Amino acid sequence: MSMDVIVEAIAFVLQWQNLAALAGGTLYGIIIGVLPGLGPSAGMALAIPLVMSWHPGTALIFMGALYKSSNYGGSLTAILVNTPGDASNAATILDGYPMCQNGRGGVALGLSATSALVGGTIGMICLMYAAPFLAEFALEFGPAEYFLTAILALSLIAAVVQGATVKGLIAAALGLLLSTVGFDVIAGNLRYTFDWAPLEDGIPLIQALVGLFAVTQALVLAESAASISRIAKLSGGFLEGVITYFRHPAIMIRASAVGLFVGILPGVGQSSAGLLAWADAKRVSKHPEEFGNGAPAGVVASETATNACMPGDLVCTIALGIPGSVGAAVFLGVMIIFGIVPGPLVFSEQSQVIYSLFVALFLASAFVFIVGITAARHLAVVTLLPNNIIVPLILVVSLLGSFAIRNVMADVMISLAFGALGYVMLKRGFTPIPLLLGLVLGEMVETNYHRALLISGGSYSVFYSSFICKILILLTILSLVGPYLGPFWKTLTQGEK
Amino acid sequence: MMKTLKLCAAVAAATMITMPVFGADYPSKPIKLIVTAGPGGGEDTEARAIAPFVEKYLKTQITIENQGGAGGKIAFEKFQGAAPDGYTLITYTFPKSIIIEHQGKTGFKTKDFTPIFAWSESSQILIVNAESPWKTFPEFLKAAKAKPLSGGLSGRGSTTHLMGLIALEALNIDKVNWVPYPGSSGSVAALAGKHLDFTMSLATSAVPLIRAGKLRPLLLFSENRDPNLPDVSVPKEFGYKMNFVPTLRGVEAPPNTPAEIIKVLEDAFRKASKEQGFIDIAKKRKMVLIDVGAQEFAKAVDNAYPNIAKYRAILKK
Repeated sequence: MSMDVIVEAIAFVLQWQNLAALAGGTLYGIIIGVLPGLGPSAGMALAIPLVMSWHPGTALIFMGALYKSSNYGGSLTAILVNTPGDASNAATILDGYPMCQNGRGGVALGLSATSALVGGTIGMICLMYAAPFLAEFALEFGPAEYFLTAILALSLIAAVVQGATVKGLIAAALGLLLSTVGFDVIAGNLRYTFDWAPLEDGIPLIQALVGLFAVTQALVLAESAASISRIAKLSGGFLEGVITYFRHPAIMIRASAVGLFVGILPGVGQSSAGLLAWADAKRVSKHPEEFGNGAPAGVVASETATNACMPGDLVCTIALGIPGSVGAAVFLGVMIIFGIVPGPLVFSEQSQVIYSLFVALFLASAFVFIVGITAARHLAVVTLLPNNIIVPLILVVSLLGSFAIRNVMADVMISLAFGALGYVMLKRGFTPIPLLLGLVLGEMVETNYHRALLISGGSYSVFYSSFICKILILLTILSLVGPYLGPFWKTLTQGEK
Repeated sequence: MMKTLKLCAAVAAATMITMPVFGADYPSKPIKLIVTAGPGGGEDTEARAIAPFVEKYLKTQITIENQGGAGGKIAFEKFQGAAPDGYTLITYTFPKSIIIEHQGKTGFKTKDFTPIFAWSESSQILIVNAESPWKTFPEFLKAAKAKPLSGGLSGRGSTTHLMGLIALEALNIDKVNWVPYPGSSGSVAALAGKHLDFTMSLATSAVPLIRAGKLRPLLLFSENRDPNLPDVSVPKEFGYKMNFVPTLRGVEAPPNTPAEIIKVLEDAFRKASKEQGFIDIAKKRKMVLIDVGAQEFAKAVDNAYPNIAKYRAILKK
């Protein structure tokens, strides 16, 4: 990559029509993200007729900005009304919403906007300078490696359930069990669907999230406080959030790494990036008990990972033509419509368009931040609305979203069922996080275990033969034993007191 | 009793009178086109690509609705009972619906639907990693007969799986360790990373990595060579005869849709598929354009049933 290409790309993006496309795409993306049920994939599909007649470069800038910024829109609803705009924002709810309850909604919004800026920029730097190399790395991951990655991710549950181990493990087991519902990719059978077609794709994730968080929360709100913010006034603002963000540099770096890693591997669900980064941040934190009760670090971890994940997702999409997620698949389709065929050759054949897309995505992160600091910061007042207004609003908007994803009424029923489950769990002192991790990772564990054994002809050596496998096994052991090693070392060196 | 009879007669008369008129001013309101997959994939993109050109000829708006639940099963079941007035249409990757029928209980029958027009076709392709020792199809065949190889599939019970089973039989290969993925991106990526011996997928899914020299195509499962992949051999060149499972992308109307309405729609879709703007998009997507009218489409549906039923036992396993 020569400097000329970059300079040319910057010049192209700075033309007025491209800047307009960038701003328009960013705004449109944020709105799509805020609307429940409309994720980036639906948003891009809806915009295709609009951009069809544009210059390919301009159209891709619009679509890229849309794709990039919808995450941020999703974080707004996650923080303010406990409803994830998209599955990837699930972990943002965990601390973002409790912050609102403590009257610190403005701070949380500042954190999420800064995360979009920082996570997005770190992700973009990696995409821009290392895409072909990272794509090669992703290809090294076969079924055995994916299986071990999922096990490593599951080991984080141990950190999440600290303090309520039995209840946590019950929830995790329930999540894993629920992940087996639906079409079994390996055997080709339907499992636990009770001849009910809406379950054949498995438990739909966003619909379940809407139930577990939004519906449950609406039930809780209906019986308690007068508004979401329990102290009925807001303290701290957007700028405090920006400053708070930079007090957590270690989490920022760890979360970016987790997000990128999840994003780069096409076989790992994008929705797990935020959850894994959140669990990881809780594990290494000195105050793990604050997580889930409005710890700013939780929002930092989740949102930074989610925003770093998106450029990671584009690595294999652009460099190999292999999309890592539904959103990436739509983006790939859009690129092809404009005659840009992603794959290893795209960097040489279409360098100008690709690098202007990269430059535009850099700027899109900044645009998101500007929207956050100018407009979105005022949204925190939503949390002061009285409950008799906000509860019906949350219910209607979230259930509408759950319907809109597949245009099926049954999905509303699924959401309501998960709402009831979430309510019971909450009242009995269970946390939904292990359940979510189990639900998100279950299929990855199961199918890749089977695939690895199908390839090896039944020999288990496939799980430790490659170098990456050995590293993953080591990391899993460290993740499980690590918390005990520190105190053990202390006892050894300082002696018992 | 008399009242009921009178009512029946009135309704029948009304239907008779309105039917032809109905056909004459069809379409007079927007048409809903159901896509049986989520937004993004090939099915959705092709629908969205052709829709504006069809709108031009029908002089009405086409709204696309994605109903991706259960691989399209939910959409097909709803479609079975949809009003046959030409205002609700469906597009999907044929013969996916027939395969779903063979996998379990369903509340729909593909042969009840009224075919309109199919505009594109794609064939399955056999690919290996570019660093694999098998440079040609005969070399691959020899290896596959010697010991079971691992082969990536885009889903158990998918059209790819079906083609794989037909090929095993025709080529006299005893066993393959099939490794199913949900969709071709997983199986193609695993092949590019050398985790599998070979992969079968739709040709379009593998083109970028073939062009970049990372994957090597060995055989195209089709009667004739694909103009987009002129160097790839087809089975008859090696003296093998087999049934093919080409996948068609086209549009159908609900059961019992009147012929006049089908005629209007067939004309509109046919003309749209010949529009330069659509052909340009098709070229970029490496689509193989075809012209399969209502009658020919119906024949393809009839032929697909016995073909798929034959492998039903294995598909269900």
